[in-house]
Amino acid sequence: MRTYLRPAAILIAAALVVGACSSDSADDPGAAPVLRVFSNYRGADAEAFRTVLAQFTRETGIATSYVGTAAFADRIRDRVREGDPPDVALFPQPAILAEMARAGFVAELDGDLAEGVENGYPDWAIELGTVEGGLYGVPYRVSVKSLVWYPPGVFAERGYDVPETWDELTTLADQMVSDGYTPWCMGMEAFGATGWVGTDWIEDIVLRFGGPEVYDPWAAGDVPFTDDPIRTAFEQFGDVLLRPGRVAGGVRAVLAVPVLDAIQAMFSDPPGCLLSRQASFQREALPAGTEIGPSGDVDVFVLPSADRGNAPLLVSGEIAAAFTDSEEARALLTYLSSPDSGVPWAALGGYNSPHAGFDTSAYGSDFELRLGELLETADVVRFDGSDLMPPAVGTGTFWAGMVDFVAGSSLETVLAEIEAGYDQGAS
Amino acid sequence: MDTMEDGAGESRPPEHGALSPSGSLARRLFQPRVWDEDERTLVLDELFFEGPEWRPFLFRFGVLIILSTTIAGLGLISNSAAVVIGAMLVAPLMTPILAVAGALVHGQVERLAVSAGVLVAGTLAAIGTGWTLSRLVPGTITATELTPELLARTAPSLLDLGVAIAAGLAGGYVLTHPRAGSSLPGVAIAVALVPPLATVGISLELGATASARGALLLFTTNLVAIVLSAMIVMLVSGFVPSDVRILVRGRLRIGFLVAALATAGVAIPLTLHTVDVIRDQGFTREVIAAIREWDPSGRIVELEADVSETSASVNLVVASSRAPVPAWRLAELLASGREVPVDVDVQYRLEQRDEATAD
Repeated sequence: MRTYLRPAAILIAAALVVGACSSDSADDPGAAPVLRVFSNYRGADAEAFRTVLAQFTRETGIATSYVGTAAFADRIRDRVREGDPPDVALFPQPAILAEMARAGFVAELDGDLAEGVENGYPDWAIELGTVEGGLYGVPYRVSVKSLVWYPPGVFAERGYDVPETWDELTTLADQMVSDGYTPWCMGMEAFGATGWVGTDWIEDIVLRFGGPEVYDPWAAGDVPFTDDPIRTAFEQFGDVLLRPGRVAGGVRAVLAVPVLDAIQAMFSDPPGCLLSRQASFQREALPAGTEIGPSGDVDVFVLPSADRGNAPLLVSGEIAAAFTDSEEARALLTYLSSPDSGVPWAALGGYNSPHAGFDTSAYGSDFELRLGELLETADVVRFDGSDLMPPAVGTGTFWAGMVDFVAGSSLETVLAEIEAGYDQGAS
Repeated sequence: MDTMEDGAGESRPPEHGALSPSGSLARRLFQPRVWDEDERTLVLDELFFEGPEWRPFLFRFGVLIILSTTIAGLGLISNSAAVVIGAMLVAPLMTPILAVAGALVHGQVERLAVSAGVLVAGTLAAIGTGWTLSRLVPGTITATELTPELLARTAPSLLDLGVAIAAGLAGGYVLTHPRAGSSLPGVAIAVALVPPLATVGISLELGATASARGALLLFTTNLVAIVLSAMIVMLVSGFVPSDVRILVRGRLRIGFLVAALATAGVAIPLTLHTVDVIRDQGFTREVIAAIREWDPSGRIVELEADVSETSASVNLVVASSRAPVPAWRLAELLASGREVPVDVDVQYRLEQRDEATAD
């Protein structure tokens, strides 16, 4: 097991400098406490999450203020370093939550709240908020990442079948090329988070060909990037996407196209691409009026596995945790751990609950209902590996390495560069 | 100053013709001069093309509408104000609009129908030309990146209504005072008709329907304001013989009512829009103050701030020689004490200087 002392050391030093981390509301007992909530939800997500917080305020009388940022991973660490953490944060990266829990910045959950989480969620979700045996986080939302978006109309017209194995997928892409199409839509540009689209691909391939036996230790940092199963995943990724004529706009364009904009090319006439491996939250950035479904403008299938059958699901999501150990912060976490807290967002769309007791009739569309079924029936569900790896690697050299790989760096250089992140974290 | 004004002195009764320079302005403005039939025919001939003149007029009108819209459209796409102004001088739409006003004040239903028909056909032709032009010149602009010249025609305000009313008065004045004819091009420039129509066509082709609606509102504003104010001038100037005025009293009232209601109708969205603009300007001032607090070393390069009932957004390009301050802090600063959420998008530009010398 690797350690990464440097970030922890910085955090501890920061704690010594600024003293105990307390919010304004705790300092000033006279004022009505306003819970400061911090996450990466913006745009439609932020709008929906605000309705969730508004319901919380109605039920408890506790006011909240919400701030969402595109660069959560960097900003939350800045805030803690500067002695200005929010009261509650929703972490897209469990690894950053773990880093802060270890350094003593995040409140451990106990009592009814902890019991409710342990009884209400599947194991994979509980693990996300668990650090060294203690529970620190409440899983709040889950997004399915192993989806391939495609236009059913073109598939029907051309007689393409939805592939059920990896070989069928690559054969289909070859067929598309010989029919004069460019198979894949892909964009990687994501502000300070550029690279995650690439890491998702590698994770999905490792999970499909190596299985959880390889994936879990790899995500935990115990299988190096230079090992064969990981190296092979990079080669497969290169084979599927980085050859000429495989990606809309060409490989060079991929780094400049914003992640969720890449699918736009699918809707031009003739379509600029026919396959887009992207998470369920792509839904938020489809052209207005786009219908999702087998007879709609676009539909999804699960990225196939090597063999026919139940393909593993890669998921991402947000885990809520409290920096302030106050009654109000606990009240918010307790609320977020109740399945009802997801109902206002589920009605608006763009939300799936990781809670086992969530009432699926609350989903506002068939799409979320299908995702819910996928999550329920999948044999293997794994969280996004780069979000589990130590941040120096997961949101550091792994992201950067994918950018370099797409930009043309050699595989050896890239793997060594990513692996070096572990040493940076431990130096 | 010459007392023989407008070449119509000989037909005037002495008390009108012998105006002295002092104290005469008010009377000149409010007392209609007397027209003879030849003069009136001359002016009417400027507006209505009938009999053998009809076909050549239509041809001329069609050619000019397509050419002027083409010039305007190219000017708008290439963002050249000079070219757009050039197009206004070629544009023939003022004639049917003044003809509509003329037909209304004379209560002539048939002439009204013909003039309005020409106007509608010209409008559609101009929009179609703009659309075609945007088709033929692809790739230079997109729905989200219109040129400033195009954008300037998509958000009319009450000021535009003021300009249109004044220009309509001027147009009516020039028409009924033929010696002032040389200033007609100025009227056409002040209240442009073809550039908004070109903007409608181009925006539609690009799929920017909101911009198209805005430009169409600008055109409609200009249209109804010119008709209304030209009607007023025509009546005040004595252009309409009093016996005709009495004879078609009912129609005249309806015509006036319709023109006035139409002007009031466009004034509503214009007022709403003007309120928006004022609110955005107030918000922009707040944003500038907040930016100074947020990052005192930052220099604002570009700033776009919009606020509505339900949301506020800020698009900012800021240059600084220091490491950027996170955008969320600005968002939080702006959101405090405000009912609506604030979305902030910041582009940072690092500004660095370097100097060197060598022998």
